[in-house]
This record gives sequence, C-alpha cells and structure tokens, in this order.
Amino acid sequence: MGLILPAVVCFALGFLLVSLGWSRQGSLLPDLLLRASLAVGYGLGVFSVTFFLARVCRVGNLMLVDLLVLGLLTAALLLAARASRAAPGLTGSETRSHTSPAWLQRVLTGAFVIALCGALYSGLLRLRAYPHGDGWDAFAIWNLHARFLFRGGPHWRDGFTALIPWSHPDYPLLLPATIAHFWTYLGRDDPRVPASIGFCFTFATVGVLYSALSILRGRARAMLGASALLATPSFIEQGVWQYADIPLSFFYLATIVLLCLHDEGTWDASSQPTAGLLALGGVAAGFAAWTKNEGVLFLGAIIFARQVISIRDARRASPQRPKIAFTRHSGLLLAGSAPVFLLVIYFKHWIAPPGDLFSDPSSMLHKVLNLTRYGAIINWYVKDFFRFGHWLLIPGSLLLAGVYFVAGIEDRDAARPGFRTSVLALVLTLAGYFAVYLITPYDIYWHLRFSLGRLFLQLWPATVFLSFLRVRGFDRRFAEKA
Amino acid sequence: MASLTSDAEHCQTYNAASFSPIRLPMKLPRVSVAFLVFLLGCLLSTARIVWDAPMPSLQPDSKLGVGRRSDRRFAALRASLPQRGVTGYLGESGAAALGDYYLAQYALAPLVVDHSVNHALVVGNFPSSTGGAPAALPSDHLQLVQDFGDGVLLFANKGAN
Repeated sequence: MGLILPAVVCFALGFLLVSLGWSRQGSLLPDLLLRASLAVGYGLGVFSVTFFLARVCRVGNLMLVDLLVLGLLTAALLLAARASRAAPGLTGSETRSHTSPAWLQRVLTGAFVIALCGALYSGLLRLRAYPHGDGWDAFAIWNLHARFLFRGGPHWRDGFTALIPWSHPDYPLLLPATIAHFWTYLGRDDPRVPASIGFCFTFATVGVLYSALSILRGRARAMLGASALLATPSFIEQGVWQYADIPLSFFYLATIVLLCLHDEGTWDASSQPTAGLLALGGVAAGFAAWTKNEGVLFLGAIIFARQVISIRDARRASPQRPKIAFTRHSGLLLAGSAPVFLLVIYFKHWIAPPGDLFSDPSSMLHKVLNLTRYGAIINWYVKDFFRFGHWLLIPGSLLLAGVYFVAGIEDRDAARPGFRTSVLALVLTLAGYFAVYLITPYDIYWHLRFSLGRLFLQLWPATVFLSFLRVRGFDRRFAEKA
Repeated sequence: MASLTSDAEHCQTYNAASFSPIRLPMKLPRVSVAFLVFLLGCLLSTARIVWDAPMPSLQPDSKLGVGRRSDRRFAALRASLPQRGVTGYLGESGAAALGDYYLAQYALAPLVVDHSVNHALVVGNFPSSTGGAPAALPSDHLQLVQDFGDGVLLFANKGAN
C-alpha cells in the first residue's frame, strides 16, 4: 500500500473541500492548478484534524474515519452543485488583457523553468540527504510530537507535558497530527513522511502563488512571482528541512489569495458574491492557527483588518467604490476558521501546558517600557529586511521593492478591498511579531537572531503575491509597440 | 539600463509616485527593464540554490545523523524500558550534550525523558565515552543496571520516590 493510498485520500479530501467552497467560473487550467495546489495544503490540514479528533474520541480505525469524511464531503459537494445550477457563481477577472511582448514571455518562461528546475533539483537532493531535516526543529518539535501521537496510542497526551518544555508542547498540531496520520497508514514512523510533507508544502505554495497571479494578472506576472519564491534559497531549504514556517506561509498565502479572488470577482463582474471563497479563506486562516502560534495572530489580524476596511469603505461608498457587505464577509471568514480554531482552543486549554511566552508576566511591563528593546528590534527588522531569504548579491526584498517602484503600480483608486485588507493584516501580523519580541522571556538578541528571518519568510509568499497584484504589467498598447 | 535606451525611440510609461503619464527616451518599456532586472536577481539566487545543494553522492542523514545517533543507538535500551511513563536522564556536559538529550528523547518517545536523575530509572547517554559508566556519578543512589554499549546505559535510582 505504501504512501500512495494515504496520499491519494489526503489529496482527495483537500480537493473536495476546496471544490465545495469554489464559486468561481474561470478558465479551466489556472483554476484547476489553483484548486489542486490549495488541495495539497487543505488535504494535509484535514488529515491532521481527523487524526486529532480520532485520538480524542479514541477511534482506532482511521481509514473508516477518512472514508466517512470523504463520503460527507462528496455528498455536500453534490448538494452544493445542484443548488448552484440556479445561481451563477463569481466570474473571474482573468478575461482582462494581460498581454506582454512575445520575446518577454519567452524570457520569462525560460527563467521560470530554470528557477523551477533548480528548486526541484535542490529540494529533492536535500530531501534525500537530510530526511530528518537540517536543524533541531524537525525532530525535536514536530516529529517528536508526531511520535507521541503515533506511538503513544491511547496515552498520546503523555508527550504534551511541561517536563520537556524545550519541545514546545504548547505548539499546535497540524504538522504532527498529519505526520502521525500517514504513519498510522504505513504502520511505522518512516522519516520520509515528514520530509515529503515539507516538500509538498513548499511547492504547493509556489503553485498557489503562480496560479492565483495567473488568474488575476496573467502569466507574465505569475511567472515573475513564482520565480521570486523559487529563487529564495531559505524558502526552499527550510521547506524541505521541515520548518513549520513554510506550511504557515502556505496558509497565509491561501487566505489572502482567496480573499483577493473573491473581491476581484465581486468588483469586476458585479455578480452575486458567494460565500464559498471567503469561507475557504477562513478555513485556511484556521489551519494557520493550527500550524503555529503565529497563525493565531494572523487569524485575528485578517478578521480585524476586514472590519476596519469595511468601516472605512462604508464611509466612502460611491459608484466607483461600491459598498460591499463587509460585516457579512468578516462573518464568513470567522465561520470558516471557527471549527479549526475551536480545535486550537481545545488543545491549548485542555491538553497543552502553558506556553513559555507569558511565563514571566511580572517583567513584561518593565520590558515594554524599555526603549533599548525597541531600538534593538527595529535594528534587526531593518537588517533582516535585506538579509532574510539568503539571496545571492541582491536581496529579494530589494528586488521586489525595485520592480514595484520602477514598473509602477496599477491604478491606485482601484485597489480592491481584498488587497487593502491583506496588506493591513500583514502589517498587523508584523506588528504583533514586534510585540512578541518586546516581551520575550528569552534573551532578545538570541531570539531575534534565530527566528526573525523565519518570521519574514512566513510573510514572504503573501508579500510577493500582493506586490505582483499591484505591479503594473503590459497592456496591448505596450505589447504592440514592443 | 543605459544600454537599453535609445534617443530615437520613445514609449509611454508611468511614474510610480505621480501616476501621470510621462514620456521617457526608452527603447524598452520601463516595465520590461524592471522585470528583466528582477529575473536576473532571481536567476543569481537560483544559482546559489543549485550550488548549495548536497552532492548526489552524499550519504543520507550523514550530517545530523539523527537515525544513527538516535534510533539505532537507543534501540536495545528502548526494548528494555516500559512502554510509557517518565524516565530520568544523565548525560555529558558541554554544548553538544543538549542535542544528545533531544535525540535520546526522540528515540525513546512515547516515554518522556526528564533531564533529571530523580526518577526510578535513569537513562545514561555518554556518546563520547568508550566504555562503561562515568567514574563520578551525581548521586550515590544511582546504580548501573545495564550497559547497552556505545555510551548508552541504564541506571536505577534507589533514592527516587
């Protein structure tokens, strides 16, 4: 049976879930690629949830649980398909012209293929050479938790004890539970499982970025965006080395892509906005919270940002800037994220010991009032802005900023609410990271040194996506001249 | 960018700050130049990704050696320990010792390995030692139960509750 059966079941679960919320009617290929790329992450997320619930409810037969969930999702999809015949879904905005000169298309395609092959080559060699990752995180946190879940049987809770605080037993369980689910199918704790999951998340993130930009802005900017991600050395390395920051970046990106797809479709087609894409975005935000503690911050940030933009736009409603039922939209995001977020609350409250972040509340106020700490964090934020990603010669952040300012941006007034919501959410998340450094119980320099680059990496795919969403491309006039 | 320009040909482009159309003496639109420079930067880093990739001839898991230093070293001990519960731990001192402890816990899960000798059973982990228990043990109550070789030992703590 090997890995094939659980991999197929996992992907099918993800694809069914994504299809259930899919309310776009776009061109086949980019839509299919986006759905397939999203399905990878969603499937792994569903796998973790079903495993965890099976453990909590003491259900032994996981295959039965998977078949049940598959059946339920299929039935829901059939019902939704019948209902959707009457109401048209969102029309995508990919019908707009995104023509670029033929020679540039060839150059872009060539560079994209080189970047993709280079990343795949390196990723596969790393996967083979470092099946346990190349750092402590993989085996000392995620795979250790997976072993407790898999080997512990009915006593799986034993591992989430304050006796081994270095393993961060309060960290959420998306990765460990997914790994344990696969191991249960295999009957042994094969190190190739977590390594393959890391590989899948890495390249599924590229797939989501490419296909979403392809739908919204055409192939040229899609290839540029995807090349940026494929050419980020740390992104490929840490993805394959099983750092949870890459799966987290997948879910950040998925949330933002679905939000933008929904809003762009609503804006351009003036068709009936449907709940599906937003609810799917909410599910992705929920999975982010189930992946790492930072995801909880992001979930709060995106819902808060949606409300803020809602209130702002309601005041400025005009024929060019139609008022959308944002409160309903925030509600849909929240509803989508709620089931998984409730699981996070359950885990944090009833299973995991308290985290280390708030372990010393008495000193927090003192730290917040210490201006030296602000200076240190700002200093590292600036330094890592140029350093993170481990780019050769020209930092990726600088390249992105350069292309943004040299090429210019598309009509500013048409910045969609989804775009503005996403930018605000990322800024709030970054501010939240700043606050965490401010009150960290660890030595601040040590903490910054070993984590800030990875935190930037979490936001990197979403930042690349949003940048190329706004960077000016070619219209027909330019293509003809060139 | 200079080599790409020509005074004879112009094209319309936009200034990012003002958003008003301006005419620049460029053969290539600014967008193309920006995209090409961006791609060049990407390809440079792709070269680094490929260059830094491990050699295909490299033995799997040869760097951290998690499988060798963890699962294989502790396989015999694991079979001798209870299936679940908490066990103590005694290891070497030094910077690398913490990693050895993490690897011991990884191998022995779902047994919880507490970094303390205050338990009835205590795992000894001395990967640098060539034979037997260290001369000086931190507690008089510790008694060697079994030496599994390769620096892996099991102690009993008679004084533990």
